Amino acid sequence: MPLHLLFKSLQRRKVVTTLLLVQLAMTFALLLNSILLAQQTRQQLQQPTGLPLQQTLQVQLKPTTVALRQYPALGDLLTRQLEAIRTVPGVVAVAYSNQGPLLYGGNNGNVHDPDREELSKANGVPLYTVSADFFNVLQLPPLAGELPQNEIAVDGLAKSPVVITQSLANKVFDDKPAVGRQVNRGPVAAVVADFYGQRSAGTVNYNAIQVAPLYGVDWGYSILLRTEHGSTDKVRQALPQVLQQVDSNIEIFYIRTLAEQQQRLYSNEFGLASLLSLLSALMLLVSMISSYSNAYFHTLKHQQEIGIKRALGASKSRIFTELLSENWLTTVLGATAGVGCALVLNQVLAQVISIPSLSWWLPLLTYTVLLLCVTVATWYPATIATRISPATATKAL
Amino acid sequence: MEQLFYYLKVSWFSIKRAPLPYMLTVLILSLGLGVFFSNATFYYRMNSDPLPDKSDKLFFPMMMLVPYQCSDCKAPPVLSYSNVAKLAASDIPSARAAMYSADGYLRQHAAQPPTPVTVRITQRDFFSMFDVPLLHGTIWPDNQARDELLLSKATAEKILGRTDVVGQQLLLDDRLFTIIGVLDDWQMLPKLYDAYNRQYLNPAEDIYLPLESGYDYNYLSNNNSSTYDDADYRKLATDGRTKAIHQLQYWVQLDTPAQQQAYRQFMANLVTDEKAAGRHPSPEANQLVMLRDIVRYFGGESADIKAFAIVTLLFLLVSVFNASHLSLNRYLSNQYEFSLRRALGANRSQLQMQLLVDMGLMSTFTLAGAAVIAYGCTKLMNSLWPANRLFASWDVQLMLALAVLTLFCSYLVTLYPSLRASFGSLNKQLKE
Repeated sequence: MPLHLLFKSLQRRKVVTTLLLVQLAMTFALLLNSILLAQQTRQQLQQPTGLPLQQTLQVQLKPTTVALRQYPALGDLLTRQLEAIRTVPGVVAVAYSNQGPLLYGGNNGNVHDPDREELSKANGVPLYTVSADFFNVLQLPPLAGELPQNEIAVDGLAKSPVVITQSLANKVFDDKPAVGRQVNRGPVAAVVADFYGQRSAGTVNYNAIQVAPLYGVDWGYSILLRTEHGSTDKVRQALPQVLQQVDSNIEIFYIRTLAEQQQRLYSNEFGLASLLSLLSALMLLVSMISSYSNAYFHTLKHQQEIGIKRALGASKSRIFTELLSENWLTTVLGATAGVGCALVLNQVLAQVISIPSLSWWLPLLTYTVLLLCVTVATWYPATIATRISPATATKAL
Repeated sequence: MEQLFYYLKVSWFSIKRAPLPYMLTVLILSLGLGVFFSNATFYYRMNSDPLPDKSDKLFFPMMMLVPYQCSDCKAPPVLSYSNVAKLAASDIPSARAAMYSADGYLRQHAAQPPTPVTVRITQRDFFSMFDVPLLHGTIWPDNQARDELLLSKATAEKILGRTDVVGQQLLLDDRLFTIIGVLDDWQMLPKLYDAYNRQYLNPAEDIYLPLESGYDYNYLSNNNSSTYDDADYRKLATDGRTKAIHQLQYWVQLDTPAQQQAYRQFMANLVTDEKAAGRHPSPEANQLVMLRDIVRYFGGESADIKAFAIVTLLFLLVSVFNASHLSLNRYLSNQYEFSLRRALGANRSQLQMQLLVDMGLMSTFTLAGAAVIAYGCTKLMNSLWPANRLFASWDVQLMLALAVLTLFCSYLVTLYPSLRASFGSLNKQLKE
């Protein structure tokens, strides 16, 4: 059917067509932005963390008595807890830390070269006080220097050596060798590969680690352990009992794999992407109902017209294609208007959340999805139209 | 009344004649309204004013009283003990309270397992400033350190099984405290006195302890604390009172514009004095933020809820357009019936009345459907964004708003079809 005749047919139902076009444009806009947001969340969850996510468990806990939160009782508790966990089958390595990686915020401070403070300062760097096995648990071999083996208090007379990540070393020392030089927190003993520290920090891969007794545990502390492949669940199940047997005066806040921790870090984005996807699916459904209803009603109202066409020689497939073509044309028009709506919606959403701007291929993908859905919705009414007998034309006489 | 029943009967027959399009119209409208309403509930609750009589009288003062120099920094969101002492030196405010929150473990006796509790460590004016209701007992007579605490009603019931427990003693982190008061049911939502780091989404605390005792017993803030210089945050009783350990929120009540202006001037004078003493190396960055603006000031507004609000509004529009589309098709199918009634003598106002009854019936079904969908959607949002769960409750006002919105949308959906059915050319309609 020529294009101008299709337009003429749509013009006969101005109000219905306009309503359908508006819906399709809005559906297109939402669908496109939902895909964008889902894609962004997926990228965030898939960004490299530099950590063994599946095999590492993090136990977050806190002593429930004041005495156990202070040295020497705390030191004794930590030693007993780590020893007990090492005996659990499937545990490869275990360490304590004042905080885990993959957090939104936590204990952090600035790190800089004291000789050129203003130029070298990195703000909001996560500061870890850990036991020596921390690097083994997180599989962070030294890229330069040697990892400290003895715990030296961060507030002692002798400065506790600092291990920094590669990107922090590059920032503070301007891409020059860092080992042996001083930062404001102590001498740099080693440089390790980048890993994901805290989301709130300017650069998530900046981290500074000191092998030292825990400075304070009023906010709780973490026990990090790496497990053998396939043992993570069994170890996780055994941990509460093992820790309670060591000392029952503790509160275990959670036991999570680092993969779960990463998922939680982006849970808000994941939630919004899920809700938008659900809403997009609903909107597609609504548009399909609309297209179905439009085609079905059109078929019913124009039975005689279709009958006349059939009597004049139009084949069933021509009638079928004609009806589908009408809906395809509406969809293309609606979706084209939808590109504008999508741009506006993208701008409005960008004022409240972080959302990437539209790329050229996304509208094409969305066009395809919308066309597919409309075709499915129109198929049945179009089939009904093909069943209209040429004899129906006689009713018009 | 008899006429109304007649209209209802005709509407019912019309629905029965083509139930699927009608059900689809109701379903689509319910979906749009339900999804919109569930998100609107969160949005409305999070942006509501918990103290409408006082929210323009309570202020959070912030100053750059820090030992570092920064030319373009905002004043820190928490103050040090010595900062608060300087700000509290003015007698301009009608009331003032410094505060922070911490975690603790509560039990009746050493043999009992401890219960984790949240503690608000504050001063006596806190209770009058934020209209905290007292069920039993009293509040501390002054701001001195004392081993006395107040319990929330829920905590008293949970730990001791009843609320009339004034005078009893409890172990908080192994230290013996006497209960001097029990609060009545109280849940300030949003919890604006603790807005930084999105803490306003959390429930009110379980226990209330004097500020001085909190410092004596070294309770650290569980929200935000920053340490400058060589201060040791493990020594709150000493370093905490004299050095730059920032963890306090501070609220003042300034009832009149004159008081507010005077307090601003007091803060400006304080900056001048501190600069003269060499304790304010940065340029002045004083802030006096009103309670109702505090979430926005700290940038803690829920962006996800806001973004979803935009999208659900769009979805509601699409649903209304779709329902109108379906409704129009339905009326066009029934047009012959309308035309016949007009030809038999029914006037336009009678047809309009019939359509109004149709709309009323549709509104009723839609309202029921929207309520069910909104309930499900709220549950889903609670599971995806558990931090917002306290803001999911409905009240009569919200339900009425949903009813009015449903009525309005149903009216919009039936408006054009009814006009077309009632005012079209009778001859043309009968020919069709």
